[in-house]
Amino acid sequence: MMQCGWPLLGPLQWIRYTDKQVKVKAGKQEEHRGWMVTVDPVSASVVLVDFSEAGASVRVVMGHAVEEVEVLQDADAETVQRLRSAFVLPKRPGLGP
Amino acid sequence: SWRSSIAPPSERPGERRAAEMKKLYGEDAAKISAMEAAMQLTFDRNCDLKQPKYWPVIPLKL
Amino acid sequence: SISSSVASEADPELLQREQHARSVLRENFLQCLVSMTNRKVQFHMHEKVKVEATFGASDIDVLNFQVSDLHTPIGVQKEALIRSQDVISVTFDV
Repeated sequence: MMQCGWPLLGPLQWIRYTDKQVKVKAGKQEEHRGWMVTVDPVSASVVLVDFSEAGASVRVVMGHAVEEVEVLQDADAETVQRLRSAFVLPKRPGLGP
Repeated sequence: SWRSSIAPPSERPGERRAAEMKKLYGEDAAKISAMEAAMQLTFDRNCDLKQPKYWPVIPLKL
Repeated sequence: SISSSVASEADPELLQREQHARSVLRENFLQCLVSMTNRKVQFHMHEKVKVEATFGASDIDVLNFQVSDLHTPIGVQKEALIRSQDVISVTFDV
């Protein structure tokens, strides 16, 4: 659970939220669930992916609007795989050449 | 850049930027710099070409 | 953040881990922005404003989004810049 100061957390904290299903509260009344793909270290904006039958939807929440981020669950191996393939991403550390 | 006025005259902006990137991204600084340069170029070129105007004219959030 | 940079200045190994994390996060975010090019996106903005547009590009500081065919409440603006400060979130389908 992250209470405040999302933009101040820094890379080593932000990266711990990736590959997790999260609930993000933003602005006055938005609340979004999704799998966290990345956090922009410049703007603290977060990228969430949500899977549907049609494919996947991506939501970028601006860092200045993020009020709270709560981790709901870890991604299993299959979900991690889907996150990699649903969205054009470069290789992550430790995933081979 | 907002720092130019207080930087020593011998230090050039490009060098300072490169040093900042190195501090932030370490050995990946060159890769990230290249990606950023490409993206900023696209943005600048589109703006030159299309002359977009701000919407809304007055910011919603000051 | 300020606290982590102070800590990492005293610890080269920590600094390197932080630089690597920042680089992975930034690269993936830039990829995300690139993948938005020419896609129909929806902006959720402050004051409950929702608009659709075709995404063009973002500046690297993520301060402005350059878009085309912006459907505003009073008509279509062919070319526009949207301030990221006005935006809460942006969505698109892949």
